[in-house]
Amino acid sequence: MRFVDEFRDAELGRAVAAEILGEVEAGRHYKIMEVCGGHTHSIYKYGVDDLLPANVELVHGPGCPVCVIPMGRVDDGIAVAHHDGVIFACFGDMLRVPGSEGTLLDAKAEGADVRMVYSPLDALRIARQNPDREVVFFAIGFETTAPSTALTLKRARAEGLRNFSCLCNHVTIVPPLRALLESPDLRLDGFIGPGHVCTVVGARPFEFIPADYRKPVVISGFEPLDLLQSVHMIMRQLGLGRSDVELQYSRVVPYEGNLRALEVLAEVFELRPHFEWRGLGFISQSALRLNAAYADFDAELRYEVPGVRVADPKACQCGEVLKGVIKPWECKVFGTACTPEHAIGTCMVSPEGACAAYYNYGRFARDKEVV
Amino acid sequence: MSCDHDAVCITCGDTAVELRVDWVDAAAGLARCVDEAGRAETVETALVGTLNPGDTVLVHAGTALQVVGAAA
Repeated sequence: MRFVDEFRDAELGRAVAAEILGEVEAGRHYKIMEVCGGHTHSIYKYGVDDLLPANVELVHGPGCPVCVIPMGRVDDGIAVAHHDGVIFACFGDMLRVPGSEGTLLDAKAEGADVRMVYSPLDALRIARQNPDREVVFFAIGFETTAPSTALTLKRARAEGLRNFSCLCNHVTIVPPLRALLESPDLRLDGFIGPGHVCTVVGARPFEFIPADYRKPVVISGFEPLDLLQSVHMIMRQLGLGRSDVELQYSRVVPYEGNLRALEVLAEVFELRPHFEWRGLGFISQSALRLNAAYADFDAELRYEVPGVRVADPKACQCGEVLKGVIKPWECKVFGTACTPEHAIGTCMVSPEGACAAYYNYGRFARDKEVV
Repeated sequence: MSCDHDAVCITCGDTAVELRVDWVDAAAGLARCVDEAGRAETVETALVGTLNPGDTVLVHAGTALQVVGAAA
């Protein structure tokens, strides 16, 4: 398969790993954060981590859109799903994310009409097919997914569909990265940037990281060779004392992003003053809501939602995992009380969550040779 | 291409897939695209401009985000 087979070549992978080793300064410990949950999944699925020296540590960032949704927002979704006549449509992983009193799957078992969709367009189709029902789409995701929601809302308005609305939980990636960089308990040397977010926003929004914090950023693809090459590019920058935004995933990502997508986002959404992120707390201007022109499609205005902040379970350390402060296996309940089948925290729910990636690929500890 | 808990939830995971354009409904702003296994889906094309059968597009959540290969 084009862009797949050649990016999974084991020989080439070992060659790039040797080049990474050549960039390592003896005695120095490197911490590189992969921002995107898709990267975390690929790293453990393909054993990328095993090819790195132990003093090159990959730290998992907050880029799994399911994992960062706080329990209170899940509760809001469940409350809307229980409204009479509502068909509640959401992506698969959201069904299993625990709120304070259960999941959307639990709500479905209790009689709520909760349906899994693959895209917002699927939710719109359900609305067309059920004109006597109200269809609410639970929108989550970063800038990669938000354009799809925006285009669907434009279609709904153009078609005059009055029985469709959106409970918007779209988030933006730059504010939490700035919050992490300001965090006193985390020292990072560089970032593997989120390739698919950048197909929309481009690389320019990440220029503040080298400019303000003097740390390299490499926008990366998702195959194992992409990730190894991105680590190598970061290590090379560090070795040369440089800090720039570089584009490893240039076969897909234009530096300026997708201007049409950015226009559509601006047409439909506006920034929320603040939004709660699981583990990171409230972050200013870090999420989207429907703007005044699309207020008629805003489920938060159409329905009463609890809007209550719910603290995470005490045993759950998703917050520290999302900030990269601890590894998943260092959490007290990892692999015991918290498993993919019975997740306590969101990081164990989504396959892109760091805990699920560690659990599914048997990474319960790390003990490698330090260069 | 659906959410699959044994693998990856494409939508939730910010994963995008490359699909080949099969046919285009320019008036509706939609295209039928197929993956390597021949599975088809209808894709929103508003963000990528004019498409032709045989083009390869990067698709996420039912929307084509970029054209990554032109028809031969």
